[in-house]
Amino acid sequence: MWFSRIRYIMLLPLLLAIEFGESDADLVRRLQRRDPRAMAELYDRYGRLVYALIVRVVRDGGIAEDLVQETFLRVWNRVQGFDAERGGLGPWLLAVARNRAIDYLRSAAGRMRSAMELPETEYPALFADMEKELLNSDRVRRVRVALEKLSQNHRAVIELAYFEGLSQSEMAERMGEPLGTVKTWVRTALKSLRDELGTAVTA
Amino acid sequence: MNCDELRDHYELYTLGLAADPELTEIRAHLDRDCDTCVPGVRGARELVTLIGAAAPPAEPPARLRKRVLALAAGPTPARLYWSPVWAAVAAGAVIAAVVFNIRANRTYVELSQAAAQLRSVQSESAARTRELARLNEAFAILNQPDAKQVVFGGAAPQPPRGRVFLDPARGVLLLASNLPPAPAGKTYEMWVIPKAKGSKPVPAGLFQSAADGTALHVLQGPVDVAATGIVAVTLEPAAGVPQPTSRPIIVAAL
Repeated sequence: MWFSRIRYIMLLPLLLAIEFGESDADLVRRLQRRDPRAMAELYDRYGRLVYALIVRVVRDGGIAEDLVQETFLRVWNRVQGFDAERGGLGPWLLAVARNRAIDYLRSAAGRMRSAMELPETEYPALFADMEKELLNSDRVRRVRVALEKLSQNHRAVIELAYFEGLSQSEMAERMGEPLGTVKTWVRTALKSLRDELGTAVTA
Repeated sequence: MNCDELRDHYELYTLGLAADPELTEIRAHLDRDCDTCVPGVRGARELVTLIGAAAPPAEPPARLRKRVLALAAGPTPARLYWSPVWAAVAAGAVIAAVVFNIRANRTYVELSQAAAQLRSVQSESAARTRELARLNEAFAILNQPDAKQVVFGGAAPQPPRGRVFLDPARGVLLLASNLPPAPAGKTYEMWVIPKAKGSKPVPAGLFQSAADGTALHVLQGPVDVAATGIVAVTLEPAAGVPQPTSRPIIVAAL
């Protein structure tokens, strides 16, 4: 009996952290009211994910810091167009982070944009109605496992596309493989991920 | 192209790998809110988002948090912000819940549910409390018989109009109308400019106007009314600036 009482008391801080952490919708409304504390909350919630993604793309901690700052500034400046009720704050933030980082890579390498203009993927409305718990740690862990299960070439094309922003032609050139082969690898890899993740995404 | 032909291209599109004609077709289907392609692309975007989230974990340096917070021009806050009243209410409710829980020997899930309900009430009321506090500050200044009042914009047909009230003990209150909401990435910044020759404008807080063009902004704290020459407002970058970078939109000369 005494043990179970102690267990409740020990769980209190955890429960409070979970239950009193505000929702993304509340956070968006506070960002829209220009509440500086909301920026702190946004960073505490997503800063690590954003930094990890950008470091993976640019592979330089100092440059990543500048790009993280740019990412949060962009979100701070454009949050008025975000529909708090329809969600997607984390995915939007990650899309902005990826675009900032790939823009940097492209400008550093003197490369042109791909056929799809990257900023198109940043419109807040495109992230409306996405799965609320999409970025929970269990789902992220499952994606890591699914990526590890891919063959080396299949994983390489997904990573080159996502983390380096290469087009399929650029991948073919980089890997020294025919374009048709690369296209097949991309399609197969995406199908494998979809099959492996099953209900993790709604596709 | 029909939706079936585009289905295999949703993920390529969200990865930035789609090419014409599929790229143009998907954009067209999204533009017309296609019942098949909108959820299809959303699902693909979820998958692509997860790929990004699966980047190897990396710990950002502590200074980065400060840099990001500086963008919002606010003080470094605690992770959780509660007003003392709400903290007391929450603490009381939690203690009550613990006592109840132990007595009834129920599971901690019940405690979690009680806390969730409290959070919901707290969230709704906190916003109202903040707004009420702001209005109270404004009324406190308005109620002071010795508050100095300055009218601005009265003679001009279009620019913002309104009044500035300065109370030596409580601060400066700005009430404006005809002030359109600041465009994206911009904010209004108020300045208190001392009379003394060569004095620099002192930042007096950032604010936004409402959709109807009205604005209420309070700078709390003692103000030396006799030494103040002008209260002004400029349009500045969203994070605010230490000195004005644009021509004033509002000039209230004392």
